[in-house]
Amino acid sequence: MTKIGLEIHSQLTKLESKLFCSCKANYREFEPNTNICPICIGLPGSLPRLNQKAVEKATMIAMALNCSTPEKIAFFRKNYFYPDLPKNFQITQLNIYGDTSVGGIGTLMVGEKKIRITRIQLEEDPGRLIYEGSSEKNLVTLVDYNRAGTPLVEIVTEPDFENPREVREFLNILSDLLENLGVSDPSLEGAMRADANVSIEGGNKVEIKNIGSFHDLEKAVHFEITRQQSLHSRNIPIIQETRHWDDKRKITVSSRSKEEDLDYRYFLEGDIPWIKIGNEIKEKLKSEMPESISSKKQRYISKYDIPVQVADVLSSNKFYSDLFEDAHTKENAKEVANIITTDLMGLIDTREKRESSKLKPFHLKEISDSIQSGRITRTSAKNALYEIVKTGKTLSDIISELDLGNVSDEYELLKIIELVILEEPQAVKQAKSNPQTINYLVGKVMQKTKGKADPKLTLDLLKKKIQ
Amino acid sequence: MNIKISALQFTREVKSGNISAEDFIAKTMEQIQNVDDSLHAFLSINDKAVDQAREIDKKIKLGEKIGQCFGMPISIKDNICIKDTKTTCASKMLENFIAPYDATVITKLKQQDAIFVGKVNLDEFAMGLSTEFSAYGPSKNPWNTDYVPGGSSGGSAVSVSAFECVASLGSDTGGSVRNPASFCSTVGYKPTYGLISRYGLISYANSIEQIGPLTRTVEDAAFMLNLIAGLDPNDNTTVDNNNEDYLKDINSGIEGKKIGIIKEMIGEGIDPSVLSATKDAISKLEGLGATCEEVSLDMVKYSVAAYYTITATEAGSNLARYDNLRYGYDFSVEGYEFNSYIEKARKKLGPEVTRRMILGGFVPSAGHTGKYFLKALKVKSKLTRQINDAFKKFDLLISPTVPILPFKIGEKINDPVSLFLIDINTVTANLTGKPAISIPYVISNGLPIGIQLIANSMNDKLLLQAAYALEKTVQLPEVPI
Amino acid sequence: MVSREEIEHVAKLMRIEIDDPTIYERVDKMIGYFDILDSAGVESEEISVREISLTNLREDKYIPFDEKLIEKLNSYKGTYVRAPKMV
Repeated sequence: MTKIGLEIHSQLTKLESKLFCSCKANYREFEPNTNICPICIGLPGSLPRLNQKAVEKATMIAMALNCSTPEKIAFFRKNYFYPDLPKNFQITQLNIYGDTSVGGIGTLMVGEKKIRITRIQLEEDPGRLIYEGSSEKNLVTLVDYNRAGTPLVEIVTEPDFENPREVREFLNILSDLLENLGVSDPSLEGAMRADANVSIEGGNKVEIKNIGSFHDLEKAVHFEITRQQSLHSRNIPIIQETRHWDDKRKITVSSRSKEEDLDYRYFLEGDIPWIKIGNEIKEKLKSEMPESISSKKQRYISKYDIPVQVADVLSSNKFYSDLFEDAHTKENAKEVANIITTDLMGLIDTREKRESSKLKPFHLKEISDSIQSGRITRTSAKNALYEIVKTGKTLSDIISELDLGNVSDEYELLKIIELVILEEPQAVKQAKSNPQTINYLVGKVMQKTKGKADPKLTLDLLKKKIQ
Repeated sequence: MNIKISALQFTREVKSGNISAEDFIAKTMEQIQNVDDSLHAFLSINDKAVDQAREIDKKIKLGEKIGQCFGMPISIKDNICIKDTKTTCASKMLENFIAPYDATVITKLKQQDAIFVGKVNLDEFAMGLSTEFSAYGPSKNPWNTDYVPGGSSGGSAVSVSAFECVASLGSDTGGSVRNPASFCSTVGYKPTYGLISRYGLISYANSIEQIGPLTRTVEDAAFMLNLIAGLDPNDNTTVDNNNEDYLKDINSGIEGKKIGIIKEMIGEGIDPSVLSATKDAISKLEGLGATCEEVSLDMVKYSVAAYYTITATEAGSNLARYDNLRYGYDFSVEGYEFNSYIEKARKKLGPEVTRRMILGGFVPSAGHTGKYFLKALKVKSKLTRQINDAFKKFDLLISPTVPILPFKIGEKINDPVSLFLIDINTVTANLTGKPAISIPYVISNGLPIGIQLIANSMNDKLLLQAAYALEKTVQLPEVPI
Repeated sequence: MVSREEIEHVAKLMRIEIDDPTIYERVDKMIGYFDILDSAGVESEEISVREISLTNLREDKYIPFDEKLIEKLNSYKGTYVRAPKMV
């Protein structure tokens, strides 16, 4: 049986400051080495100043993944030399003196399958290395420490996955969960990374590192399973090792670094006392946690009678469910959910589009109310939505500017219907014998009005005219 | 002008207008000029000190608000950061390191209008007890320049003892304030762990070390503590002292106090003159109304091994950042591979630091941590339990600060284990986080002996009161410089 | 007794180049002294730690450092820190 385990690193991008200093957690907007201070650069004499909210958010993640949360958490030093590590040790968590990382054993359901979480730990992200130079020989390593000290949560799973598809589904669910918790924006570049370990029946565990994206992770796992199966079928032993994902060649390569030789000399970080997180604090954190995705989904179904599929899509995405929460009333909930899932999601399907969108919750309320009152048609609503996203104008302005209002004036509509009857004698004949086919004529009227004809009125008038 | 006055005398004199800060600082700088060639307390001098003093005099004259130090000249151990000033840790590795920020203690002293006359010598990265491991050469004991001044805060003790300042800040990891204080006949005080912020103190063994003052009098130590103690958001290990005034009631006396004499600290290997000084001090304390009785802390036997195991482990990690990439000395990365560059760059670390790095790689390594590092942590825990038990019965504990007299420069440098054992009486306070103070007690054959008192955590005030009482019983000769 | 090879291995891990031949004996002596820990009888002892409350930690607030720190570091073209090549 194939066994796959994951180590997921997720930055707490929703925090203001880094894990141990007051530099900005979102380092992305800075010129190289301008988001640094004596602490995150590890200057002599500096000490870590632990961010309270980082501990709280990490604890919330642990709770959301049904992990045990200890009474006290502790920090450890992981010692190794690397140019992106300003102190040449990383402050992280470990469970060698009992469970002292923010989260212990937990579970996350992927459909019917239970994935066990081994532990969750809070740690600091290293800086970034940039390689310059044309060949291996004159390669220059440049270091940008802006990212150094960014709060990072590591989620370690048991090897409970059996195939790359389960891995992908898990990562989708997890990234929705983290976003819903308001701790991280997984769509930010580098905000969520993962390493995998893979073993097949009768073989040793192989770790795969350096995987750039979740898309590549699936590929890397797939490649690694195939590689191991191929070795196995030829009776070549699968050795325990660390392999790196080669992004260019899309294969895993045995890493030359002697990881086995490393000795991290883990020991307690004396600059950070153990942190008490008593039941009172835990209860408070629990009460501050946003509603979970599954509970949201249930609520949408039972309270608003939203179809399961729609509720599923809507609840799992924080951006859209937030929009829904702000826009809906008991009366228009179904309509708002509909607009979001059928029209809006296609319209702003990338992070950039979402960020530049001018749409506000009140727009959705206007649109759904106007549809329900028959002021505009669904087709017009879709056109209006496009304009709103672009300009942020009110629906009324857009209706008048683009002349999107329903043609519900009987006199005007009748003129168009008469024209259609004249043009389509065949269809009229057919409609007389088979009333079902009258919809064709309705469609024609719609065409002539650019979708603005009030559908119900059109049908009534057509029926009257033909009979 | 007399510069041989205490810190509190200085502030009173300036406040009353009897002397000016400028005159006093000028005289102090002159003293440094005169004596430091032979004593070598200083690694760098503040050439703006006199100007700064003039500014303070101006403020006084104009009746502006003035800090409690009134321009008092203070020397700072060169492992504490002063903004825009070289901070070398007496290492060639940091010979060009200019701190871009102030340590919390420095910020606080600046606010109180202290003047830093210069940075003083230490064993490289504070690893040692004689200053012989300074990359810039040893300091000399003002009582006899053939002898070591103790360490690692040797420069601090020498500068106070030789009137090159009125007070100094050192750091105490295993006795590094108390040992040189004892060897140079000054007061040396290590407060409760967490009482003084370590932000800006370059870490050697961060879980047990504290900044501490070296002063001429116990009162001065209390005064310094008033200025620099307290909760600091920059140091998560600091504790709230509720703005305790350590000077108030310092003369309360020790009548009725129970003092335990730590048996393991007056046993094997103690110099007879040190033993007799200790006995003498005990009888003096009894004369003041205290009751003294022996107490055993059997973990003391293992304390030095535990201390060196823990400090080597932490130092191995704390000093890993010295890879010369972000700061350090001129040495181009051109043509080197990462690991070999760092190995080459770190050759600037001196021999003792190099040895400690190897120890620090060895004792916590996967294969050895159970035998060494974890055991050392357990000894630390048990020792803490034992001393806490002792404090259920006693208010204070007493021992000689160092079991031997100052030794000659070069005499012990090649015998690591005998050097280890000199720390036997001081490391306990660090391993257990307790406050401890060395009080100059007697000069024996021209060499100073100090007595150590230890109190329970956060009982620093009581400790200072007892030290004050003991200090009042002694009359010491002036240093022969 | 700690072997030469073991000391050299640890030195390598700590990025220390040994050029002082006396170091082997001296380090061995120091580690030999630590063997005394075996007779302390502390196996069952719990490791004691210091604790603080969660609420004593730093508030999550962005405060930029008040100076251009990179200008005070060994920098490459004033923007990056340069490291030796990684092999």
